[in-house]
Amino acid sequence: MRSAYVILTLILQSASGLSVLADDREQATFFENKIRPILVSECYECHSASSKSVKGGLLIDTREGIRRGGESGHGVVPGEVGDSLIIDAMQHEGLDMPPEKKLSDQVIKDFKRWIQMGAYDPRDGKSALIRSEIDMSQAREFWSFRPIADVLVPRVQDSGWVKSDIDRFVSARLASKTLTPVADADSKILVRRIYFDLVGLPPTPVEVDRFSEAMQQDPDAAIAEVVDRLLESDQFGERWGRHWLDVVRYAESTGMERNGTFTSAWRYRDYVIESFNRDTPYDAFIREQISGDLLDFQTNQQRDRQLIATGMLALGPKSLNESKKEKFLMDVVDEQIDVVSRSFLGVTASCARCHDHKFDPIPQSEYYALAGIFTSTRTMYGTSKTNGNRNPGQLLSINGNEVRPVAVSGGAAGTAEEKRYQTQLKKLNRKLASYEKQAKNTQSETAKRAAEKRVQNAKDDVRRVRNRLRQVTQPSSNPGQGSVLVMAVGEAGNAKNTRLRIRGEPSEYGPEIARGFLTIGSDAGTAGVNIDGSGRLELAEWIARPEHPLTARVAVNRIWQHLFGRGIVSTVNNFGVNGTRPTHPMLLDYLATRFVEDGWSVKSIIRRIMLSRVYRLSSQAQSDQLAGDPDNLLLWRMSQRRLEGEAIRDAMLAVSGQLIMEPRTGSPVQKLGEGLVGRNIEVDVLQKDDRLRSVYLPIVRGAVPEMLALFDFPEPSIVGGVRNVTTVPTQALFMMNSPVVLELSKHFANRLVASETGGAERVKLAYRLALSRVPTSQETKRALEFVEDTQRTLQEGDKMDAKASEAVAWIGICQSLFASTEFRYIN
Amino acid sequence: MISRRNALLSSGCGFGYLAFSALATQAANREQQNPLLTREPHFPASAKRVIFLCMRGGPSHVDTFDYKPELAKYDGKAPGKAAEGLNVQKGRKLKKSAWKFPKCGESGLPISTLYPELSRHADDLCLLNGSYTDIPNHPQALVQLHTGSFQFVRPSVGAWVLYGLGTDNQNLPGFITVKPPARLGGAQNYGSAFLPAVYQGTAIQDVRADAPIGNLRNSHFTGELQRKQLDLLQSMNRASVDRNPANSELEGVIESYELGYRMQSAVPEVMDLAGESTDTLQNYGIGESRTDDFGRQCLMARRFAEAGVRFIELTHEGWDQHNNLNAKLTSNCLATDKPIAGLISDLKQRDLLKDTLIIWSGEFGRTPAVRRDDGRDHNSTGYTVWMCGGGVKGGMRYGATDEFGIAAVEDTMHVHDLHATTLHLLGLDHKKLTYRYAGRDFRLTDVYGRVASEIIA
Repeated sequence: MRSAYVILTLILQSASGLSVLADDREQATFFENKIRPILVSECYECHSASSKSVKGGLLIDTREGIRRGGESGHGVVPGEVGDSLIIDAMQHEGLDMPPEKKLSDQVIKDFKRWIQMGAYDPRDGKSALIRSEIDMSQAREFWSFRPIADVLVPRVQDSGWVKSDIDRFVSARLASKTLTPVADADSKILVRRIYFDLVGLPPTPVEVDRFSEAMQQDPDAAIAEVVDRLLESDQFGERWGRHWLDVVRYAESTGMERNGTFTSAWRYRDYVIESFNRDTPYDAFIREQISGDLLDFQTNQQRDRQLIATGMLALGPKSLNESKKEKFLMDVVDEQIDVVSRSFLGVTASCARCHDHKFDPIPQSEYYALAGIFTSTRTMYGTSKTNGNRNPGQLLSINGNEVRPVAVSGGAAGTAEEKRYQTQLKKLNRKLASYEKQAKNTQSETAKRAAEKRVQNAKDDVRRVRNRLRQVTQPSSNPGQGSVLVMAVGEAGNAKNTRLRIRGEPSEYGPEIARGFLTIGSDAGTAGVNIDGSGRLELAEWIARPEHPLTARVAVNRIWQHLFGRGIVSTVNNFGVNGTRPTHPMLLDYLATRFVEDGWSVKSIIRRIMLSRVYRLSSQAQSDQLAGDPDNLLLWRMSQRRLEGEAIRDAMLAVSGQLIMEPRTGSPVQKLGEGLVGRNIEVDVLQKDDRLRSVYLPIVRGAVPEMLALFDFPEPSIVGGVRNVTTVPTQALFMMNSPVVLELSKHFANRLVASETGGAERVKLAYRLALSRVPTSQETKRALEFVEDTQRTLQEGDKMDAKASEAVAWIGICQSLFASTEFRYIN
Repeated sequence: MISRRNALLSSGCGFGYLAFSALATQAANREQQNPLLTREPHFPASAKRVIFLCMRGGPSHVDTFDYKPELAKYDGKAPGKAAEGLNVQKGRKLKKSAWKFPKCGESGLPISTLYPELSRHADDLCLLNGSYTDIPNHPQALVQLHTGSFQFVRPSVGAWVLYGLGTDNQNLPGFITVKPPARLGGAQNYGSAFLPAVYQGTAIQDVRADAPIGNLRNSHFTGELQRKQLDLLQSMNRASVDRNPANSELEGVIESYELGYRMQSAVPEVMDLAGESTDTLQNYGIGESRTDDFGRQCLMARRFAEAGVRFIELTHEGWDQHNNLNAKLTSNCLATDKPIAGLISDLKQRDLLKDTLIIWSGEFGRTPAVRRDDGRDHNSTGYTVWMCGGGVKGGMRYGATDEFGIAAVEDTMHVHDLHATTLHLLGLDHKKLTYRYAGRDFRLTDVYGRVASEIIA
């Protein structure tokens, strides 16, 4: 159809001096004589698959490529000279191509003629670069890619209700839908909310009383006092650090098919906790994690902190058994691009690994612009050359002024001694297995005991040899006494661009792509950047710019989510086209602007939000509002929220008096040492419960502690941000039957029995400790009935004595409180 | 006991609208809250559930289900030019199968003498002789078999199925995996990755009625006493709901405690083989030392299937015969032959085979080439998976390897195709079963997968 149209056009135009060349052979001759030579000599240098560095995302060395065009549009549109950018470029109208010289009028005339004739082009084949339906100037109009606006605070009527500008934004939105907010929460509910939100622990009865009294005097001052106090406590970082650890998929092993331990990952965990506690400005937090190794420092301590921060890039999942080096490298790079782009920018850049992003304005070439930064980066994640680990990494050894990468095991060959121990260990393990089998199958008591003894001895032997093996497999470049090993990244040495990989295949090379960042998020008109070294330093700077449209928005949105249960943008890791739109776009920009103005202080923005009226609202629903806004998108009340597994566990520990408040030094994974989970590292050991705060539990991929896993702990191999909230019977069974819950209930009960003698007093204390309130008379009555009933049943049925049955009955009360929805949710 | 629903309706405390709206949204909320409720498939399904028999290590296909008469001619010889372009190391000598392949059943399906019991069911088996996978390494291949990808952490096929269909019996886990390997991907093989955690498999490490799984027993509160305690707890929970009835998520918690309470008896009950007849036990080979363990697994699989568990996986380890092929393959087949045959008979007898899909697969197969006289190496380019029941044609050989059994050459089935076909049999369109994560819709089959419609009855 089209060609008929073209010919018709040509016939009509022939009157104006253009002759018709209808014959295919003539067209071919014309192309070969007039067009191809020019393309090759004048254009291919920058616009072909063999170009050193492709410009403008344009490849014109195939028919497909020249027609598809580049970032600016179609190079050639058959029959349409006006739409063919190549003509504009040759005429130096807007685009000036070739840049240095203008081609002769005759050449331009030939090209016009060629296009008018239908742009005959025999150059078959796929174009390497998949580009580009993306219209960048249009893409910049999308809400999250527009600059953050310095918005005007809306004027609202009810000045008594309003406590801050935040309230004005919320109030204006509510008013627009004629919704009125509910009343403030009761002080006991509010103080519980504040405690869990800031430190992930319940307030003590004394703290509840003190707060309630202060609220009677001056609510604003009372809230400010408790918020400030908790922001300054060490528990704040333990709570908020964990939120960030979700995002950066923190874990202490590689996961995947060979699950190698990361024995030093915990240092990064501690860095994050400390950063929140010392309120490291968020822009510095970004720089440290992406480029901490390249930043200046005053002291060795500061240097170490910054190096440890880069662990963020090192602790992603790794496919240790991968046999192709190039694929392993590109997978590591992909994972780094994914975590950086989603955590800081809320865009899914890794979608552009194989082709242009399907939804967002991220061309494949820009993915490889970022990839070049990370292929120029050395990732030191440790893991030793053990069975099946084809990709052992290094760690950074720090000792005083000396900082150097070291191998984690004796290297590829292994010493003779190492081999001897390995053989021994294999034999001993086999022996142990057979003894264990014998012990299991033996029937008689004496034989069983003897067999168990043998098992014990064999276990001792295994342990002894394993220790020796560990000694001889100390790094060949021994980090030496007093050295600290950290996961980190460094410069690869010869920083260079990488090449686009066609369809993302690691070994199918397209053109080289200059290192750089995303067009989205860059100021319009900035052509490129000067990059020294890998480019991580520049990347961090680019992300941490106050003007970056995404960075501050994404950050404050995460903070908002943790205080209201849902982000202003509910897809916290996706601010792209497929993400949700903000419920309060102006408020988001207001918060982002304040955040930057406050020096990127996380604590300040949290404080601002928590001192608002809207944070204080009750979670009590009312029918009018429920009808108008059932999902509470406009914030007419506080949403009720399920506590995370960590907070439920920590609260049980706290209430039962068992919580050890000190931070953990190191990690159980560090003590287990180098190895493969399920192969020579037993998973059971990692499930051992202790009494420290949950943030210090070992997080090994595939072996997340039971309670956390049951309560929707995010898969630590992928970037988190929003936790699922599921309600399933396995959670119920855990609360009902797990030895851990029973044990803590027992401690809780002991606490009650030791403190109070009267039943009603005990119930009261129990409620105050667990739920931060006093029981109603009905609740007290019900509880006492249960105690009595249980005691009777146990004494009559099980012939238990009074004291023992009393103890069990109170355990029952305490456990029920732990299991109750009121304990598991914050109102 | 007065239910919340009745309490609300009868209380007349000015919550008229609220009660109505709460009830109206209850169904929707419950759907959200209990994501395990049964869901309709995309189209009518022939299979309702899956029993996946995972033969970990890579069983030798040319010695079991892929009859290669040509191999005998090349016994002890390198195939030379005949195998040009095939994935065989130069100079490696081939080894014929030591077993005969009689024609079995009316269909005459050739199955090796290693499986005398199973071959009686030849007319129910569909041998997928053209199966292949990407990598001849255990870790990658096992993870790919389970999740479709070894490159990224992705949900396992069982999690996808549970996500797509929910499960029929809320008193039991919907996806159970018996004795999964701790290494080679470990929990990733039954994990839910970005799908909600409820869809991950429940691992059962032992096949006893009193096997320790997931907090089913209580050391303090049992029987009547535990019910009393639960009543106390539920009274607290109801009070919370009544204080703030709009937060209907709490209803889900109340329900979860009742479900959990029932699971305490339902799980040990379904795992208790005491009620099974001696005949049944014998048919599975239970009580004979060689077949006892896998026999118990298979019988338990039937009990799970019968009770409404959606996806059941059993693992039999130790098929990695680089050496001692003769002895070890014989003993592996012996250990699994009778139990699997018993399972098929039992399901058939109970009219469950028609909608239970059995899949038998290793992570890959083994080379026709020999290693040290009595061994074979990993072969990913061609091997055999078989299916049975669940709407699959029986007595069929679908697909083929070359004359030696090296590479799949005809009607080939990649792991993605196996997954697509499995979902299809369950009434799920593998292109429509998607989950939005990280800004895009993910599938079990990524952008691949072909349904082998030829094998569907």
